[in-house]
Amino acid sequence: MRCTFEAIREDTPGARWQALFQLRWPAYQQWFLRDGYRARPSYLAGRRALRQHMPELAGLYQQLCELAGGGDLEARFLSQWCPPSYISGCSQAVWLDPYGVEGPLLARNYDYAPALLEGSWLSTRWLGRQVLAMSDCLWGALDGINEDGLAASLSFGGRTAVGEGFGIPLVMRYLLETASNTNAAVAILQRLPVHMTYNITLLDRHCQWATVFVAPDRPAEVVYRPAVANHQHSVEWQAHARATLSEEREWMLNQGVRKAETADSVLRTLLRPPLFQTAYGRGYGTLYTATYRPHTLMAELLWPDMRWPQYCLDVQEGVLNIRFDANHAG
Amino acid sequence: MQKVSNISDLRLLFHRNERPIYFISATNFNLLGIDQWVNRFKYINYIDCFDGRHPNVFVPPQLPHKEFQSIEDINNYLLQHKDVVDYVERAGGRPVAVFLMFDAETERLCQELGIEVWFPSAALRERCDNKMETVRIGNKAGVPSVPNALSKVDSYAHLRQIADAHGLGEQLVVQTAFGDSGHTTFFISSEADFDRHAEEIIQDPEVKIMKRINCRGATLEACATRSGTLVGPLLTEVVGEAELTPYRGGWCGNEIFPGAFSEEVRAKARDMAYRFGNQLMAEGYRGYFDLDFLIDKDTDEVYLGELNPRICGASPMTNHAAFAYADVPLFLFHLLEFSGIEFELDVEELNARWANPAFIDSWSQLVLKHTANNVDIITHAPATGIYRMADDGSVSYHRFDYKRQDIESENEAFFLRISGPGDYRYEGADLGILITRGRSMTDDFALNERARNWISGIKKYYAAKPIMALHEEQVPPPGAFKIL
Repeated sequence: MRCTFEAIREDTPGARWQALFQLRWPAYQQWFLRDGYRARPSYLAGRRALRQHMPELAGLYQQLCELAGGGDLEARFLSQWCPPSYISGCSQAVWLDPYGVEGPLLARNYDYAPALLEGSWLSTRWLGRQVLAMSDCLWGALDGINEDGLAASLSFGGRTAVGEGFGIPLVMRYLLETASNTNAAVAILQRLPVHMTYNITLLDRHCQWATVFVAPDRPAEVVYRPAVANHQHSVEWQAHARATLSEEREWMLNQGVRKAETADSVLRTLLRPPLFQTAYGRGYGTLYTATYRPHTLMAELLWPDMRWPQYCLDVQEGVLNIRFDANHAG
Repeated sequence: MQKVSNISDLRLLFHRNERPIYFISATNFNLLGIDQWVNRFKYINYIDCFDGRHPNVFVPPQLPHKEFQSIEDINNYLLQHKDVVDYVERAGGRPVAVFLMFDAETERLCQELGIEVWFPSAALRERCDNKMETVRIGNKAGVPSVPNALSKVDSYAHLRQIADAHGLGEQLVVQTAFGDSGHTTFFISSEADFDRHAEEIIQDPEVKIMKRINCRGATLEACATRSGTLVGPLLTEVVGEAELTPYRGGWCGNEIFPGAFSEEVRAKARDMAYRFGNQLMAEGYRGYFDLDFLIDKDTDEVYLGELNPRICGASPMTNHAAFAYADVPLFLFHLLEFSGIEFELDVEELNARWANPAFIDSWSQLVLKHTANNVDIITHAPATGIYRMADDGSVSYHRFDYKRQDIESENEAFFLRISGPGDYRYEGADLGILITRGRSMTDDFALNERARNWISGIKKYYAAKPIMALHEEQVPPPGAFKIL
């Protein structure tokens, strides 16, 4: 199994984004229609939700709909309003250098099925702010950083509850496009409806950080835990937690972060089992490790034998192929 | 324009109209041809009767949707469809919509899209549509209904007791408040009749109990305005013809011709509509409406039947009657009433002119439904356009057209196709509408031979294949909703 990672610069939505859309739309369409066409809300409902909750994105949304061909189904998908459910693994942590030598770090592992990864590291200036983010659902984000130094990352929260709200990648995009610090991002998460349960970790250049537990059926909750995996206060979905080793990973990452004297030490923890997962065939192998450093605006993708650094304000385009072992016992 | 004072002003107003006005409905049948009178008038439809050839009809690509239960559902689907939203928003202006049917959800969607609905509110329409309320509004206006009582009914004994107290006789007709009268009218002469419909009758808080009379139906459209109520011509109704509909008592067309009713009956009906319309204004309802009349064949007495507070299936007849071409179609007064433009019209003069038989010529429309009790898939359907009938009564396609007035003679007819290739053909499905010059009925109100030839001639062009694997949910239940 192979994943292609690509760093792409396109300040305003144009031919590059359109090409990504055309490439991935057939697969997304299949996913979007998984429960049948009628299970998804109407175009007007999605647009209404966007205008109500994320008005800053409304114009951009219309632009992207046009690039996507202007069709009803494409627009419904892009609104990310009540999408089909999706879950994943992931671990994430915030590390603050006890000696004050290195700036603060947000680091995470993204654990998912290789076939379902977009792998596009998009550098954009869609609403005037430079944003570098790992793309998902074509304009959403899994993690990223903006030019003000706000970094954000998500992990699935380990609950089966589904409700009326946005798909989380679009929420992440919204944070990176409109917030410049952790407090602003927390305020947004406290008001936005989300359609499933997630843990969102935020870190800004003032070393303010927080993890927000969001869910469709309970209010957003701000917690200060340096490491989180795929559950919130306790495991609520045993089977998922067991399969993805959620508790073990969280414990291990916590230990790793507390003890780490350098950022590299945190990364070593992330790149080793049990945090580094290899169950690619079962859909939750670690596809990449990402780090974001708000002080320097540096970002990096890492694998056990590869590193790919970028500077948020001057992303260098490029392509990287990573091979995963589908038959790995993990 | 400052003020509309006469027909020339009115024609000019709409000739110069710049506000986009949309008729949003399953098809454009009801307001066929209004686009030729009103600049920027467009149809947004679910069914493309014209295969993309009508310049003012917009039909968005079909999306899977919840099974429609009503025309309101179709309109609400259309208003949420991205292609429709884009179409309306790109046209800009201050858009206006008119509907055949709409509900509170339609109103909400229109508000969201910045579309003004040029109709009284759905809530008010529903109140006026209630058959009991219609009787009361009529009573206030001095427009009598067939002798009746409005009451809750608990049992057959109770029904008899009410009937006796009001002198309604032994043979009764009971109607419930809402719905197509074909399905909510019960003929009751015995306890056995009552028992058959007891459930529907007893569950209603109030029903209309009428004396049964030997009557003929007629219908008339009118428009309540600030200047008074404008009254269109009285039309005959084609009802329950087996070639056209599987439903006994089901509406299947109209005729208009100068001698359809006696001068006395026409005058009575016009006067009743005038007074009823003015009363509707007092109730807060304004604009277009349709009144059904029951004409007692034995006494020539004219009674109020029911009110349709909306555009209806008779609209294509009214709006293409000779008076419409001499002056303007009745529907333009509806648009005027809602336009916000000041106006003062001599309604009396207009009504007097339209009452003159010279302002009525002879037309008929027939609604062709699938009458067999089977379900199949249409593989071939006759296209919309003008057809010709040969001397031997056979029918053939002559030319594409969307303007029914282009029919040259009684040997031509305009067919508006509704069900096309790929559609299910089920009992009661609307196949299409046939509009001809001249009459379709005999003086005894049975289909005439020419009409029978037209019906069989058109139906011959339909071909269908059986359904191999039947998916239950895809087939609408018979009579799921009337599309017109």
